[in-house]
Amino acid sequence: MNEATVHALIDDIGALLLFSMILILAADQVYRAIYAVAAQSLLIAVAAGVLAMATGNPDLWVIAGITLVVKAMVLPWVLHRVVQRMNVRREVEPVIPVITTLAVAVGIVVMSFHLSASLGAVRQAITGNALPVGISLILLGVLVMASRKKALTQMVGLFASENGIFFTAMAVSKGMPLIIEIGVILDVILAALVMAILVLRVRSTVDADIADLDRLRG
Amino acid sequence: MTGERPFALVLLEMSFLMLLGPLVTGIIQKIKARLQLRQGAGVLQPYRDLAKLFRKGTVQADTTSGLFRSIPVFVLAATVAAGALVPVFRGGPPAVPLGDALLLLGLLALARFLTAVGALDAGGAFGGMGASREMTVAPLVEPVLMMVVFSTAVAAGTTELGALAAHRSASWLLAWRAADFLGFAAMLVLLPAETGRIPVDNPDTHLELTMLHEGMLLEHSGPGLGCMLLASHTRQVVTLGFVAALFLPASPMAAGSALGFLIGAAAFIAKILVLALYLALVESSYAKLRFFRIPQYLAVGFVCALSALALRIL
Amino acid sequence: MEVDPHLSLIAACYGTGALSALFARWSGRLALGVGYLAALAGAIAGLWVSLDVLLGPPRSALTQTLPDLFPFARLSLAVDGLSAYFVLVISVVATAASVYGPAYLRAHSPDAGPARQATQVLAYNVFLGAMVFLCCAGDALTFLLCWEGMTLASYVLVVSDDRDGENARAGLLYMVMAHGGTALLLVAFLALTERAGAFDFASLRAAAGDLDGATRSTLFFLALGGFATKAGVVPLHVWLPRAHPAAPSHVSALMSGVMLKVAIYGILRFGFDLLAPVAGPLTPAWGWTVLTLGTTSAVLGVLYALQQHDLKRLLAFHSVENIGIILIGVGLAMIAWRRDEAGAALATVALAAALLHTINHAAFKGLLFLGAGSVLCRTHLRNMEELGGLARRMPWTAGLFLLGAIAISALPPLNGFVSEWLTFQALLGGAGRFRGGAGLGVVVSAAMLALTGGLAAACFVKAFGVTFLGRPRTPHAEHAREAPPSMIAGMAWLGALCVALGIAPGYAMRLLDAPTAGLLHGPGASAVLTARGPLVLSAAFGADATALSMPVLAALLVALAAMAWIARRGWRRAPLRSAPTWTCGMSPTARFDYTATAFAKPLRLVFATLYRPRRKVIRDTAGTPYVAKRIRYTGEVVDLAETQIYQRVQNTITALSRTLRTRSSGRIHAYIAFVLAALMVTLLIFGVGPQ
Repeated sequence: MNEATVHALIDDIGALLLFSMILILAADQVYRAIYAVAAQSLLIAVAAGVLAMATGNPDLWVIAGITLVVKAMVLPWVLHRVVQRMNVRREVEPVIPVITTLAVAVGIVVMSFHLSASLGAVRQAITGNALPVGISLILLGVLVMASRKKALTQMVGLFASENGIFFTAMAVSKGMPLIIEIGVILDVILAALVMAILVLRVRSTVDADIADLDRLRG
Repeated sequence: MTGERPFALVLLEMSFLMLLGPLVTGIIQKIKARLQLRQGAGVLQPYRDLAKLFRKGTVQADTTSGLFRSIPVFVLAATVAAGALVPVFRGGPPAVPLGDALLLLGLLALARFLTAVGALDAGGAFGGMGASREMTVAPLVEPVLMMVVFSTAVAAGTTELGALAAHRSASWLLAWRAADFLGFAAMLVLLPAETGRIPVDNPDTHLELTMLHEGMLLEHSGPGLGCMLLASHTRQVVTLGFVAALFLPASPMAAGSALGFLIGAAAFIAKILVLALYLALVESSYAKLRFFRIPQYLAVGFVCALSALALRIL
Repeated sequence: MEVDPHLSLIAACYGTGALSALFARWSGRLALGVGYLAALAGAIAGLWVSLDVLLGPPRSALTQTLPDLFPFARLSLAVDGLSAYFVLVISVVATAASVYGPAYLRAHSPDAGPARQATQVLAYNVFLGAMVFLCCAGDALTFLLCWEGMTLASYVLVVSDDRDGENARAGLLYMVMAHGGTALLLVAFLALTERAGAFDFASLRAAAGDLDGATRSTLFFLALGGFATKAGVVPLHVWLPRAHPAAPSHVSALMSGVMLKVAIYGILRFGFDLLAPVAGPLTPAWGWTVLTLGTTSAVLGVLYALQQHDLKRLLAFHSVENIGIILIGVGLAMIAWRRDEAGAALATVALAAALLHTINHAAFKGLLFLGAGSVLCRTHLRNMEELGGLARRMPWTAGLFLLGAIAISALPPLNGFVSEWLTFQALLGGAGRFRGGAGLGVVVSAAMLALTGGLAAACFVKAFGVTFLGRPRTPHAEHAREAPPSMIAGMAWLGALCVALGIAPGYAMRLLDAPTAGLLHGPGASAVLTARGPLVLSAAFGADATALSMPVLAALLVALAAMAWIARRGWRRAPLRSAPTWTCGMSPTARFDYTATAFAKPLRLVFATLYRPRRKVIRDTAGTPYVAKRIRYTGEVVDLAETQIYQRVQNTITALSRTLRTRSSGRIHAYIAFVLAALMVTLLIFGVGPQ
């Protein structure tokens, strides 16, 4: 497939990624956030596949496969199990009201578009809208982590940031060195496992809200 | 710029939309009933309801001024006139210039204004509450609609609906660019608000706390109520046609042939049915939002529309 | 010195009107009658002159020098396209107000003495004459003299009807802020005249030609500050909601409909004519500032209007909103002008939209204020929540008020929709043409404009519905009767204008030719917008043009309404039965009707971050805290500008004066010594300088 088709496809996938990010921000139940991030990881896998077909780089196929299996299937399933085991109110409680979060999100999107527009020559070499969308995803994932109280939704935010990093890297350099990719995935798996254990252990004694953890001051 | 759609065709399209409106409502009710494992009334039931209403007499509240009798007339006229702006059988601007997307939104706003004024005319708390809530949701929907219209119009350089439909591409494929995904998502968020369906409003109940649109119709009766109901059916199909013109591909057949005409009609009905199915599914899957959570719901649409514009312009 | 017959006719009419105040020696009513008749004649003369200039053959400005009154300057008048257009706007509303005025004053304050009537007549004619000659001014001195005259005359009219001291306070605030603005204007004008060495506009234009960018921008922003104070732009608008309702209703119509537009005239004159560079575009900061101010004023104006229950205060806040909409068009025109070769069309459309909205707003705001005046003079009540049910008792007023409400909500087929449509088309053109952040800013401005349109419609459903519909809430409202015929005639004139401008805007484009072509030195409005004949408005920016045909739409609506009317009669044509409103089986009284507070409450909650409403609940209990004898709830929405900006400034000034007061000794000698020191310092700075 030719350059123009690849550009257009990456653009379209970028728009769908932004939409899934908005759904995560506006989600009021943890289930919805988990499904949204699973869909997001699926889209990342598709994007990696498209780029793999275009450039013929075998690393990208591996990345696509790993993202698909780990981030689109396994990790959401783990989070889902944690939610079922916790069996507590599944609504997400934000620290700041949802409308403020959405307003900050709008500001982040506009700012990341401005940032990438001012990069000038570097911008030309990158596939269309991929860089600003990638930067937005990273920052919005951090926004989700900063504005939610439940540990599970913070994990979802971390995953979304991950997806953003992947997307930016793929779009900018048409693939990362495989070793970095594997390392990042392992970090994410470790973080998810630690969080799952922490939440389940903490749950057996107190309620699993991150906000409560700051009572553990010395 | 003059187009090829003659004025007679525009009038035909307008009448077609008005006649199609109750059928679309009937289809949505039927789909909802089937999803709830009921039989449901037939798809032609709204027509029977309208016929029944036009045969009845009118009971009017004794505090109304002379304005109340003429409200259904003007509301129906404004809504049907909005239908003249929607391209049905094929895309392309009309031969006699009429208006654009902004005029369509303005005519629907006029219908809403007059309905709200009529609701306050009869006095009482039902009309007041319905009018107050409807006029709270309406200004929150307008900016998002304007941004969605702009996101498609900036690419085409015009806001005229026929030209936008033709610009959408005369092919059967969905020729969307990145910004259109988000614009369509914003439009889908707005559709229940514009057509008065769950999760924004409940068209099936008549309790004042759960309805926006129905509350304003409470004091109308007989043929007046028939006109108001026909206007709300027409408004629904006009909104669906508006979304179809902005986002779904136009019919590719050449103008002037009878076969092209029929294929255009069939394509339009298919597009409307897809959107009607979406509305029925949303109504069956979600509960009605508490009234003061509606701004949050609309804010999602706002963010989608703004991102669509950022993708388009920046 | 040759005297142009038309302009001197206007002067003669208004002068006669002013002098007829002398008739009050014999009879106050005679003075009123003659004075207003003369004002009406002056307004009609103004219409004639302005239409003659606008529609006649294109010619250079109609100039005239006046007799030498001052040794250091010659007063002159110069009527070009822009001046003539604003004279048209003034005369249109003045005609209606002059017809309306005498009957209103008789009905509203029948006990006014001849002294007060004389003052009213004098101030009214001076007000109108000052505004007309301000727009025709050809040099800085005439401009400033007429500006002062306009301010003083309107102050007199604002405080002329002082029932409880509140009008005096409103007038004081108005004077202070107006003079603050005039001070800024003075600085801007005097800086230019000092450079030019003369007062007339031609020399000022030439002198501004070789200014550097920074000085030019400073002067523009000074002038913008002065005009923005008079125009009621947020945050300089705090005098408007107090002063406009205090004046008699026809004067409020003039102040809202016309005096604010004179400030717009000033901004246009300074931005595009006096301070514009000889070639090349204006500094973008000018246009973006005006656009931002316009958008903010539009949104905040309508938000505060929603929470008002005083009918005239509500209309005053809506004036703030509409001035914002006009400034959006002006700002966009400033940004797009001379930017590139395609920018000429965009600037023309934006300026045409702003100018069309000027006359549209004058028409429908004038109509609404006159309607509010009818209600006021028949019920002596201004608060909506004490009215109700007036549509059955005052049908003509109600019908015309509804017409004005539909027009101001920018709904088709009336004139408000046309000018908002043009503004949206201009914003769309800007969004397509400007890249990057500028394009996004334009789109956000369009979204805010759509928001204000929706909120304005909500506000007028409330205003019309609570005042005129439902059941009367007080005996005053119950015993109201229709306004006198001359008042209805004044309103009908403006109503007919709203309909005409809405149905046939293509013909109005011919009126805009002279101002747009003269100011922007480009194609006129009708060349750009009515390229397909006068029945169709077509705005062409990209490859395609968007066309709007209001006459066809109006015809379609009439035809459809006729068919719907036949359908509404129904199949059986049973007779109409009457029954009480359904109130769950109880007998409905006026207490069942929705109040204005309740109607606006959902919006107050949605926009709570902007409103910051205050509420206070006081419970009087009897004995135990569980039995409440009386609960008192007070809720209010205070203007954010007032609390955040003005009260802080006021507190600082009060604190400062308190500290200074401790130092004043009260002895005469200290004060004389201060004066001497000030004189010496001034002489040192200005006298001992470079020769």
